[in-house]
Amino acid sequence: MSWALFARTLAWNRTRLLILMLVAFGWSMLVPVFYTSFSEAVREIVNSGLFPRDLLSFGSGDFFTLAGALTLGLQHPLAIAFVAVFAIGSPVAAIAGERERGTLEVLLSRPISRHRHYAVVALAVLVLVALVVAALVLGQLAGVWAVGVTEELEMARLPLVFANGVLLWAAFGSFSLAASVSSDRAGPALGLSLGYLLLNYFFEILGSLWDAAEWTQDYSLFHHFQPGELLSGEADPLDFAILAAAMVVPIAWALVVYPRRDLAAPA
Amino acid sequence: MQDALAAVIATRGLGKHYGSVQALVDLDLEVRPGEIFGFLGPNGAGKSTMIRILLGFLHPSAGSATVLGGDVERDSVEIRSRIGYLPGGIALYDSLSGRDALDYLSDLQGRPPSRREELCDRLEMPASVLRRRVRDYSRGMRQKMGVIQALQHDPELAILDEPTEGLDPLMQQGFYAIVGDLRAAGRTVFMSSHILSEVERVCDRVAIIRRGRLMALHRVEELLARRKRRIQLRWLGTAPDLSVVPGLVDVAVDGDRISGTLLGDVAPFVRAVASPSLLDLTIEPARLEEAFLEYYAEDAEEVP
Repeated sequence: MSWALFARTLAWNRTRLLILMLVAFGWSMLVPVFYTSFSEAVREIVNSGLFPRDLLSFGSGDFFTLAGALTLGLQHPLAIAFVAVFAIGSPVAAIAGERERGTLEVLLSRPISRHRHYAVVALAVLVLVALVVAALVLGQLAGVWAVGVTEELEMARLPLVFANGVLLWAAFGSFSLAASVSSDRAGPALGLSLGYLLLNYFFEILGSLWDAAEWTQDYSLFHHFQPGELLSGEADPLDFAILAAAMVVPIAWALVVYPRRDLAAPA
Repeated sequence: MQDALAAVIATRGLGKHYGSVQALVDLDLEVRPGEIFGFLGPNGAGKSTMIRILLGFLHPSAGSATVLGGDVERDSVEIRSRIGYLPGGIALYDSLSGRDALDYLSDLQGRPPSRREELCDRLEMPASVLRRRVRDYSRGMRQKMGVIQALQHDPELAILDEPTEGLDPLMQQGFYAIVGDLRAAGRTVFMSSHILSEVERVCDRVAIIRRGRLMALHRVEELLARRKRRIQLRWLGTAPDLSVVPGLVDVAVDGDRISGTLLGDVAPFVRAVASPSLLDLTIEPARLEEAFLEYYAEDAEEVP
């Protein structure tokens, strides 16, 4: 473990981490407020038959139950953007970005193996992602407490939601790291990682809105992030296993490719 | 790692290719402890490829290389703990101050920056400059930072790629003084350079590489002794018979001016022209540049 590298990787992200944690916390606090304010109105709209129920759902979330609302908050594009800054941006900047800027060769001329470099960056990304997911979950908890609906929430299950969220984003982070170690430039690595994220999101939303395309959800990592099911005690261990596998495969790829690839002089 | 007393850097049949492009071909080289070794060649000759293999950035396609007794593939981390490296056109962390960047790189090295203060003095990088962010540094200041980060932990071997690139003449002198200090301390320096006068001035031995192949490996004095020198003299009266002077060729007489090319020892020539009739005498110093260009002139002749 290189603590200097670990500390510096975190230090480079500290300002945006602080800002995004505060914003994520505030955004998540609003979700229970929206739930208490609009869930009755949404139910009336559904009962009126004006809109089918599916159109008032988003991904695996909805506004009919607190668990559904919290799920919606965690799968909302805003929440995804908050975490993606660190799950995708940081891995790309830490390796492909340094390679492109030319600082990677100064770093790797020190007694740091590429395996160790990878491990330290991966650990730093995991910490960053975990902190933002924690801010999202704690923000929701604070919102639930503020609007007085704590009786609708099983607090003991929140750590499972946190773990499920961290696992989801660790899977995206490990994919981004694999793209990062395989590329000489940040642009292609970022494009590939964002494409992977958007494709997963597209499959999840498409399947949730269109019955004929429901099968696409099985191929989305977002479909295995199920805060609603976890909060209602219906957790499926397979979701955790699939996310873990989606995290491990890119890690294995990176650990094989990174030490073996040639690092030619930066252009 | 072996405790090798012999070569600090040794390559055996070292080769590297990128597809069909041969960047290094069957390179055998030894750098001895305590010597300042110059590595010469134009862009694309394979200098950077060689350096990057030594650092473990590139994997050789053929042959082997050892640095400080360790195999560059197997013992790369251990090797890098004992060397200092200045990349060509160094990039540093722009958002950090100069001091923070040096501290960070020193922490990564895992050895105290025992020579930093002395290097900063030599290269005129006072504390006030080190407090500024690297992004505000000029190219020359970045290069000075590069030299400092490479040498601040007093490495056993310094690998320097174009070390004076971007330094003004005054700072180049400072760098030469630093190399002198390293020599006095028994450290080994492996440096690539385009500046032949610099190599001639600071290096003990020099290797010339062409198209990935080692063309020459000599002590600098040997290389210079084998070079041709241009001579010019002015003579009062009838021109002397210089045909008896060994090594003097291409003699041309133009009025009172005589010119020619001298190979080897200058003493016989000086004895031959020592006369009251000698009005003026110029013997141009042998330059490494001529030696270098000769190797490449041969290359040009080979091309159909």
